Amino acid sequence: MSAALLALSGLRKSFGGILAVADVTLAIAPGELVGLIGPNGSGKTTLLNLITGFYPPEHGRVRLLDRDVSGQPPDAIFRAGLTRMFQQVRVFRRLTALQNLEVAGRAAGLSAAAARQRAGRLLERLGLAPHAGDEVGALSGGQQKLVEFGGCFMSEPRLVVLDEPFAAIHPTVKQVMVDVIGERHAAGQAFLVVSHDIPAIMRLCPRTVCMNAGAVIADGPTEQVMTDRGVVEAYLGGHAR
Amino acid sequence: MGRIALSPADHRLAFALLGAVALVPLGVQSEYWLGVLITGLYFAMLAQNWNLLAGITGLFSMAPSAFAMVGAYTTGLLSHHLGIGPWVGIPAGAVVSAVVGFGLGRITLRLRGAYLALTTLAFSEILRLVVANSIEWTRGDLGLSVPGILGGAKAPILYLFLGVLAAYQVLLMLLLRSRVGLFLLAIRDDEVGAVARGVDVVRYKTLAFTLSAAGCGIAGALFVHFLQLASPELGLILQTGLVISMVVIGGMGTATGPLVGALLVQVASEALREVGVRHLLVFSALVILVGRFFREGLMGLLARRRSPARLVARPASDAKRLA
Repeated sequence: MSAALLALSGLRKSFGGILAVADVTLAIAPGELVGLIGPNGSGKTTLLNLITGFYPPEHGRVRLLDRDVSGQPPDAIFRAGLTRMFQQVRVFRRLTALQNLEVAGRAAGLSAAAARQRAGRLLERLGLAPHAGDEVGALSGGQQKLVEFGGCFMSEPRLVVLDEPFAAIHPTVKQVMVDVIGERHAAGQAFLVVSHDIPAIMRLCPRTVCMNAGAVIADGPTEQVMTDRGVVEAYLGGHAR
Repeated sequence: MGRIALSPADHRLAFALLGAVALVPLGVQSEYWLGVLITGLYFAMLAQNWNLLAGITGLFSMAPSAFAMVGAYTTGLLSHHLGIGPWVGIPAGAVVSAVVGFGLGRITLRLRGAYLALTTLAFSEILRLVVANSIEWTRGDLGLSVPGILGGAKAPILYLFLGVLAAYQVLLMLLLRSRVGLFLLAIRDDEVGAVARGVDVVRYKTLAFTLSAAGCGIAGALFVHFLQLASPELGLILQTGLVISMVVIGGMGTATGPLVGALLVQVASEALREVGVRHLLVFSALVILVGRFFREGLMGLLARRRSPARLVARPASDAKRLA
């Protein structure tokens, strides 16, 4: 069995009296494509914030490629090989699409020419090449999401974490993302995809993890998780049949 | 829509403006107006360095005049107490300002927006009061008399100030072409997005603070050798207010805007001297109007009036870079 790419052990985080993430233990293998689902408020985004260094864990460890990155700042975790796309689009509005991607490339240590070349190729693949020189603030919401999505691949990361990538976007933009995720996964890229878009998760992810009330309530092959009684009850309420 | 901000055309315009100012002594012999222009260039230095923080990195500091005062008093104290000349005192002013800027940057780097502004405002006022009340060292409000530079002749001093401004402009251009510049702009637009993409935000914000403080320190040190007097008035909040007005009116986040704003506001201040401090009301109203309606100030207005193809070079240059 190969060593875990990402290993979470006993991760915990609370806000005031509310336990947002309750002792989560989880592992993702290299090249795996894992879906993370759960009702609103189940702790998915908090878990991502713990993994990517935006929150320090109160308890537990985060290991990336056998290196303990618990409590390290997000930029250090990026350099360790983990990139993230946010639920609310986060782009550099007054920079061009090309520059937006170059930021991640330069931060990963690429030369200016290499970063530009890689950014150009990614924009081409995402259908944004005609907008390479446009300020991102002037692009549509879907195009901005694509720019942020593209930035996740500039550093050739080991694991890409996507938080609600398919929310509030046109189906054609979603299809571009789905295709790119599929291609990259086929090439060995690992993903953790948080989404409420269950059909997309079922189509993309061989494995799914479901959270509820801060805890993992199901983890396994996607079809199995989707029919799990606890998962159905978490989504539809305690009296679901 | 493209923008002029920090495009190659913007930088060219800044150098052209400095070139135009260099011609002024050929036609203007009045010592008074040359003095006004030198004061305008001093403010232009502060404006450029404040723009590096607020317009390029997104850090709204209220301390540019405080850092100028640090530079001014470093050279002033060295010369008054130890007899050290200006050519050592001025670089020393830059170094001490940079060290203080580094310290303030580290302390305040987790603060944003109004919180950063208030903390730096408090720092400025405390520093000014300390200087004004350390009478045995600084002679308080009487000020320290310091030696002049270049024989006190206005035209050479003006060219010295212009040379320093041109050097700032070159450094700004080089900074923006480097990855550091790209990171500063990214931090300005979205700090969380920048850190998530691997930018060490703490390091680059501190760097911006340090560079800006050093730049203001040089400006303050040069200015007191022109005035031949270092006084706590250099650190007045009013001075910082003027610097902010200059940048906002000229164009925050542009290369040329701070220069245009500084020269216009300084010359207008002198022209309106007879109406007393009421002219500040006009500047305040202008800042509010520009902030509300023309976010890129006069430079943004200019870009709108001119053909985008001529002035807005960044998108076009990016398209070329991709080709």
